Amino acid sequence: MAPMKIVALITVIITGGLLLYATGDFPAWGDPLSPANNSALSRHYIEQSRVETAVPNLVTAVLADYRGYDTMFETVVVFVAGLAILAVLGQGTSRERAAIQRSAERYQERDMINIMTARLIVPVLQLFSLYVLAHGHYSPGGGFQGGVMFGASFILIALAGGLPEALSRLSIPGALLLAGLGVLLYGGTGLVCMMLGQNFLDYHILHRLLPATDAVMARYHAMLIVEIGVAFTVTAIMFIIYAALSSRGRMTGGL
Amino acid sequence: MVEQFPILIELCPLFGAILIAILGFRMPKLCYPITVLAMALSCAAAIGTFMMMLASPSGTVIYDLSGWGRVNDTAISIEYRVDALSALMLVLISSVAFLNVIYSKVRVAQETPSKIPHFYILYLLLVAGLEGITITNDAFNLYVLVEISSLTGYALIAIGSKRAVISSFNYVIMGTIGASFFLLGVGYLYIKTGTLNMSDIRSIMEAIPDDSKAIKVGFMLIMIGVWVKMAFFPLHGWLPNAYAYAPTATGALMAPLVTKVMIYIMIRMMLSVFGPEYVYETLGWTDVVVTLSTIAIVAGSFFALSRSDLRKMLTYIIVAEVGYMVGGAWLANSQGMTGAIYHLLSDALMTFCLFMVVGIVVSRTGDPKLTAFQGLYRKMPITMVGFTIAALSMIGLPPTCGFFSKWYLLRGGIEAGQYHYVGALLFSSLVNAVLFFRLIEMAYYHGAHAHGEPIRDEDHEQYRMHGADPDSQPKETLANAPWSMLGPMLVVAIGLIALGVFNSTVTEWIGQVVANLNVLEGAN
Repeated sequence: MAPMKIVALITVIITGGLLLYATGDFPAWGDPLSPANNSALSRHYIEQSRVETAVPNLVTAVLADYRGYDTMFETVVVFVAGLAILAVLGQGTSRERAAIQRSAERYQERDMINIMTARLIVPVLQLFSLYVLAHGHYSPGGGFQGGVMFGASFILIALAGGLPEALSRLSIPGALLLAGLGVLLYGGTGLVCMMLGQNFLDYHILHRLLPATDAVMARYHAMLIVEIGVAFTVTAIMFIIYAALSSRGRMTGGL
Repeated sequence: MVEQFPILIELCPLFGAILIAILGFRMPKLCYPITVLAMALSCAAAIGTFMMMLASPSGTVIYDLSGWGRVNDTAISIEYRVDALSALMLVLISSVAFLNVIYSKVRVAQETPSKIPHFYILYLLLVAGLEGITITNDAFNLYVLVEISSLTGYALIAIGSKRAVISSFNYVIMGTIGASFFLLGVGYLYIKTGTLNMSDIRSIMEAIPDDSKAIKVGFMLIMIGVWVKMAFFPLHGWLPNAYAYAPTATGALMAPLVTKVMIYIMIRMMLSVFGPEYVYETLGWTDVVVTLSTIAIVAGSFFALSRSDLRKMLTYIIVAEVGYMVGGAWLANSQGMTGAIYHLLSDALMTFCLFMVVGIVVSRTGDPKLTAFQGLYRKMPITMVGFTIAALSMIGLPPTCGFFSKWYLLRGGIEAGQYHYVGALLFSSLVNAVLFFRLIEMAYYHGAHAHGEPIRDEDHEQYRMHGADPDSQPKETLANAPWSMLGPMLVVAIGLIALGVFNSTVTEWIGQVVANLNVLEGAN
């Protein structure tokens, strides 16, 4: 074995040993009295989140409200990932756009079965992703999951009809704009709270703007708004990442 | 409005980036003014927060995100907490980033003409990430922001030449490993304490027996994670190439700030999360870590001595300086910790100034080697003023800040009886003296290297390897570096002296943070 491999092996063994060593000190699996289950923090979330936000899904309440600031930056992380890939691989100049046009013509004749199947699936997929997005308050789902599925529908179009076909529906500049708008929707919601005199992302004050709500329902609705923002960004970036990586940044041909 | 200053520090770059994402791709001309404005506002908010911190009787400013506040003395949402240490870091980061935007205008247009909006969006988000790391009081939020600053950093490096892409890939691998270790450590803390708020973790941990294995391993994982990210020898492999081949503006932003912010995380974890009693007494690793940092200082200095490429040399000096600060923080006395924090500030400014000087020199002469400095005192006098001040500070001569921070580190080392660390500090100062006086001598005495004439072929080749186009460099106008580059550099040079002259004020602020270390010493 090469010396570096031996060093790597020793490192891995030591790290693994450390992890095993620490595991002995963990609370028992599923222990209701373990710190993570029984801390003042967890108890507050479990007992109060329904009262304070009216959202039945505890995870959504924690994700989009109590720790909404983290989620905003997670959305920014997604945005940065897409932008970074475009920045490194390069993107559509006018010359490349002309190339897209040419290769679009070349891809006129695609496999009929693929295209017809995609035509059947895509509307259902998009509708279902909107359901997942909107139903995040009640069941597993929300902006990230809904956004990924919506983005996948564009990827399906690209797989079946060629990348230019998908780009003609959602161009790269358009997708970037959508991604930016998603972050803006999230951050802007927080900013509006600030303009109404509260701290950043303190949604309850939004009941002044949203009709027929009180302070609790304002949080409920604001969570949907920010989840929609997340979905915008995730949809756009999913597609950007696929388009850029599958065509090595040239935005033609693809897989 | 006033109480919103802490969040505004963060929101100005964030919304600046969003604005560019929406407008900038259609109107690239807007990118630069938006970035300058966002950074100026962020800088103003940081100074405002600093004033709030000084005015507050407890010396801390708390800001609740989502407005939940504390219930039963438990933070149920994410909170910001500004104390003297984070306030100093915030002013440092925002002002360095602001000056660097102004400095970078010309170079960004030259080096990455087709990616101007990308560059500025990533730049603003990198700064937002770094600022968020220093201001947040939530261990997981900190991780998310580390993620943002890392991702943007990888892209900002890779945006440059072909070589930069490969060095950035190295950095991605190492950085991801470091971040995973850190996240795992935070997870262990959560398993044992059930909270992510740093102040709450601290108070809950006081009730947990000191010999808890999970907390010990958690601490170890967090330390290894930040050590990888700060390029602590021998985990430094990614740094020299990544910073040396990055575009000028990226190098000048990341080299001074990113490693320093990671050292900030280490100090924050040691002081505010685990607590000095646990770190210094229960664990008893101080001797080991100080020895490691001695090795880091000596090795970094040796490597720096052996490089003939200007930026490479500076990057190895960074590796050595990381050893200074890690060692100082682990000396287990308040002198050492004061020195480490002071050096955090002064080293950031020194590195920033030197990277700006090298950026100007390399772009004007087209020569990335040490020989670029030949005869520069006559040709580029203003640039060389900045260089001389930064070099004197690196060596550690008064009245620059490098002298005072090193002074505290030395005193801490002697007090702790770690004489090998003291020896390494002196050795490294000596090496810095050799390195910089060599350049100063070359710049002062050596006459005309063929700067005005066409560059020889091997220079040409050498330069092309670094990815820039030599033909775009105006060789004739050697002296006229634009004021947008010279101005920020001079401001930083003056800052280097100011930070040294006002050393008693600075150490008084730092004293507020390390006060609890004195309690520890009194107990011994």
